[in-house]
Amino acid sequence: MTGPLVALFPEASFGSALNCVGIAQQLQRQGAVPVFLCHPGFNGIFAEYGFREYQLPVASTAARQTEETWQAFVTAHLEHFSRTPTAQLATYVAPTWEAIVDSVVRVEDALEALLKRIGPRAIVLDNVIMFPAVANAGVPWVRVVSCAETEIPDPNVPPYLSGMAADDPGRPAFEAAYLDAVDAAHRRYNVFRRRCALAPLPAGQFLEPSPHLNLLLAPRAIRHERAQPLPEDRFVFLDGCIREEAQFEPPRLPVDDGPLVYLSFGSLGAIDTPLIGRMIEAFSTLPARFLVNVGGFLEHYQQVPDNVCLGSWFPQPSVVAQADLFIHHGGNNSYCEALYHGVPSLVMPYCWDGHDNGLRAEQTGTGRTLRRHGWSSRQLGDTLTMLLNDPALRERMAGISGRMARENGAAVAARAILRKLDRG
Amino acid sequence: MPETRSTTHRNHLKLARRIVEVVLERGFPEGAHLTESALSTACGVSRTPIRSALKILEENGFVRKRDEGGYFLNTTPERIAADGLPGLDDREGSLAERILSDRAERRIADVQSVGTLMRRYDAPRVSVLDAIKILNSDGIIVQLTSRTWAFQPILDTPDAQEESLFLRMALEPQAILAPGFRMDSGKIGPLRRQMEEFLHRPDGGMSSRVFLHMDCAFHSFVAESSGNRFVRGTLLAHQRLRLTTQKDHAIPDFRLRQSLGEHLDILDSLERMQLPLAADQMTVHLRRSRIRKPRTVNRGIVPPGPGSAP
Repeated sequence: MTGPLVALFPEASFGSALNCVGIAQQLQRQGAVPVFLCHPGFNGIFAEYGFREYQLPVASTAARQTEETWQAFVTAHLEHFSRTPTAQLATYVAPTWEAIVDSVVRVEDALEALLKRIGPRAIVLDNVIMFPAVANAGVPWVRVVSCAETEIPDPNVPPYLSGMAADDPGRPAFEAAYLDAVDAAHRRYNVFRRRCALAPLPAGQFLEPSPHLNLLLAPRAIRHERAQPLPEDRFVFLDGCIREEAQFEPPRLPVDDGPLVYLSFGSLGAIDTPLIGRMIEAFSTLPARFLVNVGGFLEHYQQVPDNVCLGSWFPQPSVVAQADLFIHHGGNNSYCEALYHGVPSLVMPYCWDGHDNGLRAEQTGTGRTLRRHGWSSRQLGDTLTMLLNDPALRERMAGISGRMARENGAAVAARAILRKLDRG
Repeated sequence: MPETRSTTHRNHLKLARRIVEVVLERGFPEGAHLTESALSTACGVSRTPIRSALKILEENGFVRKRDEGGYFLNTTPERIAADGLPGLDDREGSLAERILSDRAERRIADVQSVGTLMRRYDAPRVSVLDAIKILNSDGIIVQLTSRTWAFQPILDTPDAQEESLFLRMALEPQAILAPGFRMDSGKIGPLRRQMEEFLHRPDGGMSSRVFLHMDCAFHSFVAESSGNRFVRGTLLAHQRLRLTTQKDHAIPDFRLRQSLGEHLDILDSLERMQLPLAADQMTVHLRRSRIRKPRTVNRGIVPPGPGSAP
């Protein structure tokens, strides 16, 4: 007998995609048939984990990356990475929302046709925006909040993408600036929603909570105390959402002793080759081993130090499990993997939810933050040494890890989805 | 002369590997008596080098010597299949291996002088020259001037791996289809056993390093069976290059199993001499192996994928 078919639709980011792989593995284990709706460029990623994929249409040639548009993309984005969250609103956040709205409009018809064709019993949407075809598909849809808990507003929760505390005096000004920055994209999106028979959303919001089920990737250790608790029948918090991944064997390095430090800024952060180059130079002076994810940019690096190994891809959960410290950009998936394995984080955020998660790491004593620019080698070395040699931190992280492993967030997510189907 | 000693040692290592092949081909069980005379006949060499090779195998734990005399197999073919041949690679742990590893990890530049290598590895000239000789014999470096050597392209980046697959997609099916394809039937059984044993491992227990060894062994077997000498030579050299320099191979367990299943299906077709079918299966297998992760993704942008390659 075949189990219910569940379509998972992650956004075009590795964090979201691999988070959904964790849920899909558990859905499959619990008897469902998970399939993926994937963006062009991601085809094959899910098939390698054994899942059927349905690709969304390829955009027109003009909208796709060529070497020229790629260079323009890198140049345009790099200069924003060192700016404050407020300064990024106009230069990075607003154009990104415009692009996200474009991507929704572009795939709507094809997505509607695809959903009709495959006929899922439920759709799992791990994204920051609603695709009307999902809401109109006539089956329960599940929202996965995998960026940061700040996606769901509350007076006690910091404003989304702000990197500031909930009670920061600058909060009203940031919120006003955010609404102003995204206003054009938001109005355009609401017009599109109306055309698709969906009600418009309040200012600043691009995705409503699901009336069926919402899964928040926010482990207990970093969760916020909300002024208005979320209803438990529709909101389920996940203590991590870790996929099962290939076994990783640490390579032998010419200088092969000391703690193991893993650095990954995600695929977008990998474009900042000058920063990663500087960090590698600093690593050469430190008594530790470093694995550095440089994405598709291996060619940019020469004279790699003897205690450093570069890679274009690492099976991250398996690497983090063996690491003593994880340097990342504050992507929620990375942060949660660090917590799950009891590994302290050094967060060097550059955009989006990285700011929120970086602050949360400081607030909860699960890591430290360092600005991407303006640090000295000594400052970086001191921060790493402190994080690697703090017994209290290590003990705290071990406690968090134990609790998260017992909870198994991916299995909780799969159970919640299937329970909703049983009741539906 | 140190160089002579090195060459002799390498020959003994090669012979040790050949003895392991004989063990695998004949399916010797653990504890089997490996007589010098039988091995001498099987390998076509005298008993003196066989004795040296057995000594190496003993040092690496593959065989043990009993007081009553003679060498006995100290492992199983399945274990050998799963764990590979650590200690029996003539580059492993050697200066040649360290140089190659450092190049693959981008620690040293693609053009090197003997003097620079002597300083980096604190090694005498003769050792560096010996290492260069090994790498040169595998086509990994070529001489530029009397003192400088240049590394040939290796599989150290996603782009290089993409080009490697492109080459293999063009040649491997043709290796099967070219007139004169003939397999050494004695090797099929050990290959199958290796892959089947690996497939029985639980998820998380499959090593990418061992998989790479097995994968290269399978594709080398197909290459060496080809009737076209040029296709054969090119592919064998390329598989050696893959084995020594392809390091970025974090493949999910599902794909590892699927890939081994495809190997076994191809072997089935080859054994039935359904060569066109085997060639088609090889194409499908290589296409499936060509998953290229997006270079960079960001919300709202359309990442280029394999379909966008020119």
